[in-house]
Amino acid sequence: MTMRQSLKATAALCAPVAFGFIVAFSAAAGRAQTTPNTPSGQDFVNAAADTANWILPAKSYTGNHYTEATQISPANVRSLRLVWKGNIDDTGPMESSPIIYNGTMYVTTAHDHVFALDAATGKLKWSFTDNPHVISFAANRGVALFDGNVYLGTLDGHLIALNASTGQKVWDKVTVDDTSNSFYTMAPVPYHDPATNRDMIFMGVSDGDWGGNGNMTAYDPKTGAVIWRWDTVPGPGQPGHNTWSGDSWKRGGAASWTGVTIDTATHTMYLNLGNPSPDFLGTVRQGANLYTDSMVALDISGAKPKLKWYHQFIPHDTHDWDPAMQPVLFTGKVNGESRKLIATGDKAGNFWILDAETGKLVDHTAVSFQKGHDTAPTLEGNVACPNTLGGVEYQGGAYDPATNDFYVPSQNECGFWKATKDAVYIAGEFYVGGSFPKLVGPDTGQMNAIDVSNGVFAWRHHFDLPNYGGALVTASGLVFSGNLGGNENAFDAKTGNILWSYDTGGYIQAPTEAFEVNGKEYIVVASGEAGNAKIPELSTTPPRPNTINVFSVQ
Amino acid sequence: MRRLPSGAFRPARIAGGLASLVACLLLWLPPGVAAAGAANGDDHRQAVATLADVKAAIGELVRADASYAADPKTYHGAAQRAINVLAGTKSEDYVAAAGAPGDAPGDAPGDALGAIGRIDGLLDRTATPVWASPMRSAEANIRAAIIHLQDAVKADELMDYALAASRALDYLEVARGRPDEAGVFGGLEGVLANTELGVPPGARVQDGCHAPSAAPSYGLHGGYIAWVAVPGGEGRHELADASGVGSLDVRGGMIVLRTAAAGLVAGTCSGRPKRDPPEQGDPAGQPDPPASGQRAAQTRAEAGAGAAPPALYTEAQAEQGKQVFATKCVACHGANLQGTAAPSVAGNDFLVTANHNHWTLAIMRYIVFEQMPRNAPSSLSPGDDAAVMAYLLASNCYPAGRKPFPSADDPSFAKVQLAPLPGQRHGEDAKGVCAVH
Repeated sequence: MTMRQSLKATAALCAPVAFGFIVAFSAAAGRAQTTPNTPSGQDFVNAAADTANWILPAKSYTGNHYTEATQISPANVRSLRLVWKGNIDDTGPMESSPIIYNGTMYVTTAHDHVFALDAATGKLKWSFTDNPHVISFAANRGVALFDGNVYLGTLDGHLIALNASTGQKVWDKVTVDDTSNSFYTMAPVPYHDPATNRDMIFMGVSDGDWGGNGNMTAYDPKTGAVIWRWDTVPGPGQPGHNTWSGDSWKRGGAASWTGVTIDTATHTMYLNLGNPSPDFLGTVRQGANLYTDSMVALDISGAKPKLKWYHQFIPHDTHDWDPAMQPVLFTGKVNGESRKLIATGDKAGNFWILDAETGKLVDHTAVSFQKGHDTAPTLEGNVACPNTLGGVEYQGGAYDPATNDFYVPSQNECGFWKATKDAVYIAGEFYVGGSFPKLVGPDTGQMNAIDVSNGVFAWRHHFDLPNYGGALVTASGLVFSGNLGGNENAFDAKTGNILWSYDTGGYIQAPTEAFEVNGKEYIVVASGEAGNAKIPELSTTPPRPNTINVFSVQ
Repeated sequence: MRRLPSGAFRPARIAGGLASLVACLLLWLPPGVAAAGAANGDDHRQAVATLADVKAAIGELVRADASYAADPKTYHGAAQRAINVLAGTKSEDYVAAAGAPGDAPGDAPGDALGAIGRIDGLLDRTATPVWASPMRSAEANIRAAIIHLQDAVKADELMDYALAASRALDYLEVARGRPDEAGVFGGLEGVLANTELGVPPGARVQDGCHAPSAAPSYGLHGGYIAWVAVPGGEGRHELADASGVGSLDVRGGMIVLRTAAAGLVAGTCSGRPKRDPPEQGDPAGQPDPPASGQRAAQTRAEAGAGAAPPALYTEAQAEQGKQVFATKCVACHGANLQGTAAPSVAGNDFLVTANHNHWTLAIMRYIVFEQMPRNAPSSLSPGDDAAVMAYLLASNCYPAGRKPFPSADDPSFAKVQLAPLPGQRHGEDAKGVCAVH
């Protein structure tokens, strides 16, 4: 497809449904802007109440995919129609959280391409094409918009700043320590430190299953220079170091690849940290292996983060059952009492509610079928459930203050694990000490509504295929979520009834978001290839197109 | 029986060794300057004590065997005491009632740490010394021995005991190791004989790249002991507990015992031609110690330009491999081999990265045969795995030959460094991938 053709195709739209064909061509020159083209530090603090824009990966620093917009409601959701659909010229899964600001939508694709689109029409403003060396698996979960730039982390460990108006590269820096095993998949997170009046970009590294150790780093948005770095595996002399035998801590994992949740009132950062490595061979890393499979609360008010508390969900994990979901901070009612809570789920099929101040457990709900949780993989192999793509996955869930329910998808998938006799570290190869599980049994996704007051299901909806699309809750009483079958669904938050469904033609692993342009509310979700979520039940023919799908009520 | 060479695979060892070699070179004293032992005395003491623990465990089993006792308690007790000395009193495997070998007052081996705790303590540091790999290997073998010793403790019949105990002994012998091996198969004795851990506290240390100027002294370089110089005169001269004497030189009134690690050191001495590595059974023992990554790339590029790339497969096999790839690999690695959800496996991107990460053909083979497909590792037949290797080599523009890529491993694969091949190839596309028809 040439640029001319694609422009024609876009220009030809006059029907209610526009099909914009986005191809990767060179960045078009942008006009000089007089209004700020990126949000301010204060805008991020106030992001939850802003119904027009979606400027952080999970809407706000709380991690709660919740919009106060009410135009689209249970009453009219059945008339929700596709407004435009953009075909994306890249292979690999679509896992992007689109960032939407002042009518421009920034989406990423698996191989670190960035597209700036008119949010109301899908018309291409500019695109940036990076095709980095893929160390592991191709995925990009989104960009940050700050200081006039778009920030992108890449699959080969670069942090890149692009001019938000033009897509031209401003700076490009390798910010990982070891380029053979460290890469980025998460969306960078902008932050303005009120104490030092300093702008920062938070970025964690995906390197856990490849023999690296995680860290959370604050970078200077102007230069990419490191402001501070917090290592997720305690080194010699630090508290928690004695939870690792020998020098196993050096390749211990605890990757920091999920979203960043911040309580701006208390200057607390909540992070979920990845599983220990080698994943399936615990004998070479005896001990609890802190801070793997843990949520940590960091005090970020000072020059360097200080650990306030940690809550380890699975000590000495041997199944890659880390809490991949971003923590969600909210005030919910427990036993009639209003409490500040932080909730998350893990790949072992657990949903956890903790006290946000202390990290103490408030409630725990098993949301997937669980088996073999006390048994490590053996040389001969054994079954445990869920498998590494089961339980609660990356896109997590959301809380609704109206129902006091937490909406979180989960999956029943079992795995057949095998440990190896020993784990071999090869630079650039995964370091897991065993076999990734073979799938056994049917793959079943659920959409769960969990009553926060008692941890009991308010309703559950079952799907034939995994439901990886997280949850978007609207103040009007809807829950949106896409599943691997390709359907984008709208549930009634109270009853769980599916009120609306749309087949995107691809496999959904991206979150659903809401935004407004000129006062009109839209819903957006990306869809495409299955990537690592490929299972035998999914057909590969015809190939699934990678698309951006935008809906509104006519 | 397959042993457990922890970290025995070449890349881990070389990567770790290189880093510490560079570190040692930076810190190195001018030649001829006498200094205290490079490893601190406590490290030496712990390493010696670890070896003593392992020997004590072996001694227990051997003594029980020689006792011809009729009482099962003799055997069960011996196995449990061996576990105790290996695991330490803090371990859940420790059973106090059985006691520990030589359970005498004072510095008895049956202490809190045990052999495993001592090794863990030695390894737990930010640096990765040259002895880390053999130490890890020793620990893995000790752990394996404990598993069999636990069977021995529970054995009802003497035959069951004998079977379990002899398996444990096998592993313990490997953990104890041999002083004439500097790599992972050297075990604890190899470490003490060939690395800085073998230098007793207070001993005179000189640069192992140079001939000794005084005796007694230890020639140390890059963490390895290259030689031990002993005074030539009359008298008694103590040597380290285990000395890995490879050859003996008499010069200038001194007796110079060259260790098994002498060849490793020679390769890192500045201003000297790099020598071939010593022939060893140790797959991790091949030294490749350029001072920097840049130099590594240069050396390889030169090697690549000089030697014709090896012909490792047949055309027919590559075509067969293409079919296997199309059904088993293409979903993640893509029809153009550039990867969709997974990394590229052919062309410039793959070869540049493979070179950067020091991948050899042995590593590539290991990944294909042992780790792929990722959702079902080792599920392909060895013949299909070999065919996939042929297809990947062909796609990476390696030439076809007369012999198919073998299903069995070949030690020579560890010497084939993967790197972009010089010059343009027939049928090569813009990504550097050669077409296979």
